[in-house]
Amino acid sequence: MKFKDQYQFVSQNIKKNKIRVFMTVLATAIGCAFLIVLASVGFGLHDSILKETMEDRAVTEVQVHGRETDGNYQPLTDEDIDFFESLEGVKAVTRNKQLYQTPTYKLEDYQAQSNTLVSHFPSEVKAGLELSEGRLPEKENEVIVGYNFRSNLLLSDVNQEELYNDQDEPKDKYLYQDSLIGKVMDMEVIQINDNQEETKSISLKIVGVTEKPGREWEEDRSVYISNSVLKEVEEFTGTARGMVDSPGGEQQGPELEIGAYDQVTIYATSIETVKQVSEQLETENYASYSVISEMEQINILFTIMKAGLILIGTIAVLIASIGIYNTMTMAVTERAPDIGIMKAIGAKPKIIKRIFVLESSLIGLAGAVIGTIVAYVISFAVNIGLPLIIESAFNEELPPGLKFSMIPWTLVLIAVGICLVVTILSGLRPAKRATQIDVLKAMRREV
Amino acid sequence: MITVKNLYHQFELGKKGNKTTLPVLEDISFRIQEKEIVAIKGRSGSGKSTLLNLISGFIRPTQGEIWINGTNVTELNETDFAEFRLQYIGFIFQNFQLIPSMTAFQNIELPLILKGTPASARQKIVEETLEKVGLQNHKEHYPSELSGGQQQRVSIARALVLNPPLILADEPTGSLDSETEENLLHFIEQLNRDLGITFLIITHDEQVARIGNRTIEIADGSLLEGSDSREI
Ligand SMILES: Nc1ncnc2c1ncn2[C@@H]1O[C@H](COP(=O)(O)OP(=O)(O)OP(=O)(O)O)[C@@H](O)[C@H]1O
Ligand SMILES: [Mg+2]
Repeated sequence: MKFKDQYQFVSQNIKKNKIRVFMTVLATAIGCAFLIVLASVGFGLHDSILKETMEDRAVTEVQVHGRETDGNYQPLTDEDIDFFESLEGVKAVTRNKQLYQTPTYKLEDYQAQSNTLVSHFPSEVKAGLELSEGRLPEKENEVIVGYNFRSNLLLSDVNQEELYNDQDEPKDKYLYQDSLIGKVMDMEVIQINDNQEETKSISLKIVGVTEKPGREWEEDRSVYISNSVLKEVEEFTGTARGMVDSPGGEQQGPELEIGAYDQVTIYATSIETVKQVSEQLETENYASYSVISEMEQINILFTIMKAGLILIGTIAVLIASIGIYNTMTMAVTERAPDIGIMKAIGAKPKIIKRIFVLESSLIGLAGAVIGTIVAYVISFAVNIGLPLIIESAFNEELPPGLKFSMIPWTLVLIAVGICLVVTILSGLRPAKRATQIDVLKAMRREV
Repeated sequence: MITVKNLYHQFELGKKGNKTTLPVLEDISFRIQEKEIVAIKGRSGSGKSTLLNLISGFIRPTQGEIWINGTNVTELNETDFAEFRLQYIGFIFQNFQLIPSMTAFQNIELPLILKGTPASARQKIVEETLEKVGLQNHKEHYPSELSGGQQQRVSIARALVLNPPLILADEPTGSLDSETEENLLHFIEQLNRDLGITFLIITHDEQVARIGNRTIEIADGSLLEGSDSREI
């Protein structure tokens, strides 16, 4: 018997019992939709958390602290940077040097004290640095400032009590209001010579402001200067990184190499390559740290959660399968005389079984397809509606880009697979029963 | 065509622990030649239908062998027997046994579908068979829209459609009036003559027995003395 004819048989049978089949499909669709929507919350939240962690670049970051030789940690130099950049799976290697004093920046009547860094901008851009306004420095005296630099820039000549509000934050009216782009400010560095404080002023032009940090609690108030400005400072202080001599004249803190970097971060091309990069670093005796191990923990947690949700959802599909079992049993009972006749004429048991299995699989497939579509609609509605409800009910701002529900195609595959397996299994017994129908009893209408 | 050797059959009655057996056929042996029309006679309850059901494979004998067309069908499993029936045996039942949800055309088409004949070829074969039984104008009728005689002709068409060498009929005229019965018997003779189909027909009415080349009579589960069993 050809498949097309089997299908013809099944479709005729379905047409004869439209309502019953429709109800069974509906139950299956609801079960399938429930499974997908439930699991989609796990997928959505996992994705949101991954994305959020990804956004501030932490996931693909590998921080390198130094290289171990003979039990000592050597600071990292350009040589090491070249090696890192040659590694497979490395997207960018950012590095910066810290100025070892906090200069005062003066802009018109305002002034700020800010942490000052020398960064390598091409690699920062490759790593994902973006500016909220302006451009990257091109000339030696051009600088960019952190997004929160502005909150350091306060009107001078105002006494401390007046300057700050109850929460110890500077009052808005004393903050610099104009655009920073194109403004020229003076950087003042100091050095103590013979117990005399000497000051040097270098004039710098602000050309860019970095993007707002990804996390709510993060702030970037730094000023990013060029290497040649650093050199100028070092010449003035006579120390590496502009370290200020203590009044006693002795050097404080660690011995610093001029060319060494304070902070080196490798950005891997993807989460998968982080491990690879870390391993290569380890064999070369570099001390490194990445959050990927912590991410792995999160992944395991969410995988367990998703599996649990899928399991609970499967129960809904199982309940729907009772409906399929019932429908198919009724179909077999109703058609027993016809089955008897077909068997008498020469229909093999296998064919009879196949027709009924085909019918239950079609019901399962229709349920799965409809359920998937419904699940997508619900998921879409939840992602739009739930934030609105939560925001209006609890007056709570939700993090942007938070997705409650996400349906990746793997989930669709899993759900449709579960649906089909369950429905086919539940159709097997009725189908088996159909093959066992006694020809003579069926023809006497005794079944 | 058919050889039955020392066939025994008993039904098992009652539930577990309280079983009894009911012997229905005892030591039946006979042979039917190709192109014969053989009538099986006997009182009600003598075991005629049981014998035919054994030959059809709807029930299995307690003992003995049945050979059809050189095949020991008692050794066939259910699947192979189904295939065998489809290939070699046409059936005419007392109450027609048409599928009520299918038209005359579809009922006749059923064996072709089961055999896997392509849809394009089926159309023509069914049309021809409908013509043979004179129902070309009723092909879209459902069984409930046909008279008893017409229904029986549909069931004959269904039995003929795969050109089987053997047709088994259990009281084919049982639900028909005498005129229709007469027509049907003529038709059977004609099929036997023109197509060389072997018929094995159960009947308890003399009229039907008359068209047979031979008559086999069963009484109390055994072939009656004098009925034709010499050839074994
Ligand atoms: N499925 C069955 N289970 C138990 N006993 C049965 C079964 N089928 C038939 N019998 C018994 O076997 C005997 C023969 O029955 P069978 O149907 O073969 O008779 P028959 O000759 O065809 O009668 P009729 O002319 O009335 O059709 C009867 O006594 C009947 O009660
Ligand atoms: Mg009978």
